[in-house]
Amino acid sequence: METYTYVNIFETKGLEYLLLICFLVLFIFFVRYLNAADKPS
Amino acid sequence: MAEASTGVSGGRLRFILSEMKPRGRWLTPFNVISIPVIIVGLVILWFRFTQGLGSVTNLSQAFPWGFWIGFDVVTGVAFAGGAYVITFVVYVMKEEKYRPIVRVTVLNGFLAYLFYAGALVLDLGRPWHIVNPIIGNSFGYNSVLFLVAWHFLLYMIAEAIEFSPAVAEWLGARKARRLLHAMTLAAVIFGITLSMLHQSGLGALFLLAKAKIHPLWYTEFIPILFFVSSIFAGLSMIIFEGTISEKVLKEYLGDKAGGHDNLVFGLAKGAAIAMFVYYFFKLLVFLHEGHWSELDTPWGWWFLVEVLGLVLLPCILYAFGARHRSLGIIKVAAVLTLIGIVVNRLNISVIAFNWQAPVHYIPSWQEIVVTLMIIFLEIWVFRWVVTRMPVYPGTNNRPAPAIDSD
Repeated sequence: METYTYVNIFETKGLEYLLLICFLVLFIFFVRYLNAADKPS
Repeated sequence: MAEASTGVSGGRLRFILSEMKPRGRWLTPFNVISIPVIIVGLVILWFRFTQGLGSVTNLSQAFPWGFWIGFDVVTGVAFAGGAYVITFVVYVMKEEKYRPIVRVTVLNGFLAYLFYAGALVLDLGRPWHIVNPIIGNSFGYNSVLFLVAWHFLLYMIAEAIEFSPAVAEWLGARKARRLLHAMTLAAVIFGITLSMLHQSGLGALFLLAKAKIHPLWYTEFIPILFFVSSIFAGLSMIIFEGTISEKVLKEYLGDKAGGHDNLVFGLAKGAAIAMFVYYFFKLLVFLHEGHWSELDTPWGWWFLVEVLGLVLLPCILYAFGARHRSLGIIKVAAVLTLIGIVVNRLNISVIAFNWQAPVHYIPSWQEIVVTLMIIFLEIWVFRWVVTRMPVYPGTNNRPAPAIDSD
């Protein structure tokens, strides 16, 4: 029987959750970066 | 009354016939290249329809879908995505600054569907069966192709309605224009709904081929990836087409052509955001599928070229170009994006399809010439329309003479 461990980032799909969190944070900065072009400097 | 009506019809017919006459110089580089290609393409098509697909293509039982489906249909429809994006932005989001490019975008989309999706007929072993899903002779509503066939037909009708006010203006038919203009919003909403479904539906066609597509490209999320990629493919096509039109059609567009630059920055921003989302989708799908071992193979390197070089790089270039108002960088990003879409769609439908087969499909020269013929024919029709009808606001096209009695 295969053993399941809660600390294996692949088995728990932890990488996917981390990627999603990174995406949400980066998306905010990305949109802010793009919108900065509209503001007068 | 009847005489007046006949007079109006006769005047309109004379006007249309006069508009058929060629304008401008005949000996242009584009004409010199495109006319021989179109003639050779028509000869190849004659052989295709009289002697079958095998006489001009390298298609086989193992590779029933080739370059005509992979490039003309699967890629061409993605390039036409700009029409639903721009009509959504203008008619639904009320971003009026993009209104000047609505007609040209819709025309582009309509012609792309007419020619590229129409090229589907070439690839059918029995092309006369193309009407079957429409007339009910074996509807096949369990098939994704049934959805795609109906959507293509309905979307072409919706786009024809969206563009029809320009035709009515060209013909000087004021009453017809009012009626057609009133139908536009409904056609736009219908068109956007259809587009979202069949752009993803095209991807869903490949869900059946799990065993045949390389694991780096196969995912159950292909429909979502196709839909998201059609957004930035369409926007990139608008930027690319606008750049070419501005140069080639300068004498027809007049001073109004310069206004295009300001819109490009907004389009680039939209494309950058869509590509950013798409890139993370690709990463998420890769992590979800977990094909790490495939990365260090020739297929993996090719996959990285597509994702890093033709998605992430143009995304960064778009963002940088929009932020720093650099048209040159945005144009480079648009070209890279279009190449990326071609590579991605061909990877799924042709290159990484049946990747384990001992003999691979390579398109014949006839398939490539026919594809070029379709592209050139579309450009010929596009050029004819934009140099005659009021496609760009304030263009120099002459309106129909006194035939607006209705």
